[in-house]
Amino acid sequence: MIKLNIDGREIEATLGASVLTAALDAGIYIPHLCDHPDLRPAGICGLCVVEIDGVEGNPSSCESLAAEGMTVRTTTKPLLELRRAAMETMLADHPEECTTCTKYLNCELQSLKQYLGVSEHLSIERRNRHIPVDLSHPLFVFDFARCVKCMRCVRACNELRGAQVLKVVEDGEEKRVGIETGESWIEAGCRFCGACVEVCPTGAIMDKPELVQGKRRKEALVPCRANCPAEIDTARYVRFIGDGKYAESAAVIREKVPLPLVLGYVCVHPCEGSCRRALVNSPISLRNLKRFAVEHDTRHIWKEKARHEAPTGKRVAVVGSGPAGLTAAYYLAKLGHEVVVFEALPEPGGMLRYGIPEYRLPRAVIDAEIDEIRNAGVDIRTSRKIESLSVLIDDEEFDAVVVTTGAHKGSKLPIPGNNLRGVLDAVGFLRDVSLGTPGMIGNRVVVAGGGNVAFDCARVARRLGAEEVRIACLEPRDKMLASPEEIEEGIEEGIILHTSHGFKQVMGDDGQAVGLECLDVASFSVDDGKLKVEYVPGSEHVIPADTVIFAVGQRPEIPEDFDVELTARGLVEVDEYSLETSIEGVFAAGDVVSGTASVIQAIASARKTASAVDKFLGGKGNIEEKLAPESEWNPWIGKAGDFASEQRHEPCLHNPEERVTNFCLLDNGLDEENALAEAGRCLNCNLRLKITPVKFWGSY
Amino acid sequence: MVQIEADVAIVAAGASGLAASVAAAQLGLKVVTLEKSSTTGGAANMGMGPLGIESRLTRAKQFQPTQDQAFEVFMNYVHWQADGRLVREHLNKSGETISWLESLGVVFSEPASYFPGSFPTWHIVQPESGHPGPTAAATMLRIMTQRAKELGVKLMLQTPATRLVKDGNRITGVIAETQSGDEIQVNAKAVIVATGGFGDNPKMIKKHTGFDWGRDLHTFRIPGLEGDGMRMAWEAGAMSTPMRMELSFGVADPMALGLEWLPLFHQPHLMLNLQGERFINEAEGNDSFKGNAIALQKDRVCFFVFDETIKNEMKSYLDFINLVIQTPNVANIDEMIQKAVDSKYPHLFVANSAEDLAAQTGMDPVGLGTQLAEYNGFCEHGYDEVFIKPQRYLRPVKQAPYYALQLYPAGYGSLGGIKINYKTEVLDKEWSPIPGLYASGTDACNIYGDTYVFQLPGNTMGFAITTGRMAAEHAAAYIKSLG
Repeated sequence: MIKLNIDGREIEATLGASVLTAALDAGIYIPHLCDHPDLRPAGICGLCVVEIDGVEGNPSSCESLAAEGMTVRTTTKPLLELRRAAMETMLADHPEECTTCTKYLNCELQSLKQYLGVSEHLSIERRNRHIPVDLSHPLFVFDFARCVKCMRCVRACNELRGAQVLKVVEDGEEKRVGIETGESWIEAGCRFCGACVEVCPTGAIMDKPELVQGKRRKEALVPCRANCPAEIDTARYVRFIGDGKYAESAAVIREKVPLPLVLGYVCVHPCEGSCRRALVNSPISLRNLKRFAVEHDTRHIWKEKARHEAPTGKRVAVVGSGPAGLTAAYYLAKLGHEVVVFEALPEPGGMLRYGIPEYRLPRAVIDAEIDEIRNAGVDIRTSRKIESLSVLIDDEEFDAVVVTTGAHKGSKLPIPGNNLRGVLDAVGFLRDVSLGTPGMIGNRVVVAGGGNVAFDCARVARRLGAEEVRIACLEPRDKMLASPEEIEEGIEEGIILHTSHGFKQVMGDDGQAVGLECLDVASFSVDDGKLKVEYVPGSEHVIPADTVIFAVGQRPEIPEDFDVELTARGLVEVDEYSLETSIEGVFAAGDVVSGTASVIQAIASARKTASAVDKFLGGKGNIEEKLAPESEWNPWIGKAGDFASEQRHEPCLHNPEERVTNFCLLDNGLDEENALAEAGRCLNCNLRLKITPVKFWGSY
Repeated sequence: MVQIEADVAIVAAGASGLAASVAAAQLGLKVVTLEKSSTTGGAANMGMGPLGIESRLTRAKQFQPTQDQAFEVFMNYVHWQADGRLVREHLNKSGETISWLESLGVVFSEPASYFPGSFPTWHIVQPESGHPGPTAAATMLRIMTQRAKELGVKLMLQTPATRLVKDGNRITGVIAETQSGDEIQVNAKAVIVATGGFGDNPKMIKKHTGFDWGRDLHTFRIPGLEGDGMRMAWEAGAMSTPMRMELSFGVADPMALGLEWLPLFHQPHLMLNLQGERFINEAEGNDSFKGNAIALQKDRVCFFVFDETIKNEMKSYLDFINLVIQTPNVANIDEMIQKAVDSKYPHLFVANSAEDLAAQTGMDPVGLGTQLAEYNGFCEHGYDEVFIKPQRYLRPVKQAPYYALQLYPAGYGSLGGIKINYKTEVLDKEWSPIPGLYASGTDACNIYGDTYVFQLPGNTMGFAITTGRMAAEHAAAYIKSLG
């Protein structure tokens, strides 16, 4: 440490620090603009000038090294004059337009104008530069008319990232910052990392408003993670895969979920839905990367640091062994509680086993992940249906109960003929198939409904041998609720779509369904969450079928003797904060609380509930784990090459003719070469959050 | 959650929150001020200065109005559609607010009026470089920020408050979010809400005022003014007040047109509605009146119309200038028009005949023809029989090309939302104060009835600062009463 005197104050500084850094670290604010905590000093803006005893003139404090015994003055009148003059020079080239700039109040230039007391009526003449706003970038808006040439973006792009995209371009007599005229951002080699946006002090480089407005910072900038209900650190596990560290990658996923491979097969991947790479060409194949990481984890390092608390002597009963129940049980067991899971069906897994067809999720995957949950100390008792909670609380003396019974009751539309022979509901149908006791399936099957479950039913029906399988739904094709890949794969497997169809009745003959009478939909709209449908009069027609499966939603089936309060929708009511039901010590999670949702939502819900139950039992409720090693990512991402044009890598599906003959898995996942290439497509959005935020003068 | 202890927590550090912060700290309170942005001062940074009645400066110059006159002018203007007691407190304290600001180190240039007939109540801040003009008030906000920090106020930038903490019926703190996304709780005996309204929230604007921002309203949108404080107060049981926009008038997308056009459309030339008819004395200097009148026309739009002769006259002389448009330079009006035409600015029309003008703008051709004939007749006789525009501004419109610029209701932010009494205590729906909750500034500024009191310029910034001080003083007394 060295000692120096700034404005009469003795301060300490580390050897090698600049006078500016020394002053700022000591809480003495010196106005500065081109300086940034992560960039090398540049001495461009002329604001951080100081007087130093024994040094001639007014050196920039960012470029002056602090030295032992140095005496520095930062606020003399001549310095203030110099700063105002430097400020006016910058403002002369900057439009007088704060009223329409969305950077206002977060703009360093405006903050400095306020600090230095510079009015918009300058002593010098303004220049109006007509540089058009560049909206061609997929993520950012470049308005170089607002640029004050501090060079932070150029320095960040070159010094920090090594991307070498932004530079000073000479346009006739005018020098400007940017890329060559006529060149596209992809041609220029942009890596879309956002370092330039992050360091820009003005409104010259900003995020596209639609990407950030109304969103919290992390949600806007690293949406893959923010959109994961369980907050899996997506960017981190992708980066580990890119580095060939698959065990580390799997450990990252394990930090938030106990069913990582199940998710690798069936997650609805809201992460991919929000991936910023989609704006460049297509999103990162995150679900397949997750599957790849877990399947290639040979070292299981996540086990080394896994939480395992000493026994607490408390006992928790979990009712239902679907993803929510398994998750709650797993975390509660790790916190030292004795956990017993009661499952009504013969095997554990809930909807994972009895709702999701085997060709999408192999039963061996479910078994393996449940084995790990058992290894954590969870006792799972199957074929044990719980009809009354008081049995658990009073007779079996559990200290807390978690209800995770899911939504297993299928619905049928209230139309004539819905009780005919051959009319099924989706949930019941899929469960019977998984139990190995499928009922009679005819040769001509029509599934009513347009979601993923409808496709599950149709594709299972094909695999059971039905020759003619149709899906009829209310929505037009572009508004169908099923995921695009489900629709595509279904069509490949020969499923015939009838979109924009309403349902009038199931036609019967002697008690047996023979067809579904439909109406054409004239208009379909969802207004304020309310469905509005109009039919074409006289358009009645019959789709012949011997089996009609309704895939129109499902709901919880809660035994009356549970005695818990229900919502108007028939779901279990829980307190928003304590997550407790109307009965003390009884909690609930998953579909039984939210209505039908996804596996990842069930897991996320159960994590919160596990934490709440632990608090109820006297614990701290901390279920967080650090299973993967610390990692400092190299921010130097280098030049782009073909980075921007690299297309998404998908696993190769088996051919459809073969697929429909069996319940085998649809694909073999990504191979190593493709997985590495896919991980390499990541924009590294999270690197931007590692850039040190600039402190404005009001924070000193 | 990180807990921070304070006597008073202040939500937002705009003009009002800063005034409250400094005043509370001067009274010896421990203050935590939460600001969403990186910069203090909020919308006031764009402004020029606050109102002061019987300030040291106006008294020295013998400038009117007195406190009593100002109160009468104010209440007659708003037809008593305002809490007179609150108005009186605000006006009577406003002069002393100027001295208080001076004591903090703020320097004011001479008090000014805004348009002929308005009073010189506007205390424009002297910036430290350049001339007094737009954004001059930023210097005052910097000084207030510095004083606050010197007095020990814990100022937390980039830390938006998210909700109030209530214990029984008493407000006991506020929860905020840090930049890293973590929540913190400030435990305080009183909370002052001063978040500046909802001028940047088109949904709230639509819901509470009926205007459709970007279509029939083109007010400033100060980033971040999203009604946060109002939402928090309402959630805590506060009564709401009528809400309005602080209207004047202007153009759509002013940046695309260019700010050099601002002085131009403030000149007293023809303003015509879609029927091609006049609807106001165009020499009316009160911009809020013009905004009101435009808002009453079909599609809430009008056209500012002048001809080639008037255009050429404007190169050397403008009828109206003021301190916002004090150095108008429209000598290059030909270039300005050319630039707007070249850039395809959609709201400026150049026509070679009255019929062509009607066709381009959508004005009714018959109405326009009749109106021009009538108006040109008034100009010839030197008397405007309909709107009594003074003779000196009566210039015939008959020399092609004709120019028309589309004007809309525009102006500043929102007004009102949280019901307070004359002690700045927030009232619940039963008109009882919510213990520990105060609101000041624009969130609570519903003292103008239906129209901004432009007669006494500097009013909104003045109300923000003065009520901020009042809130600090009343909160201090309340905290003392708690023992």
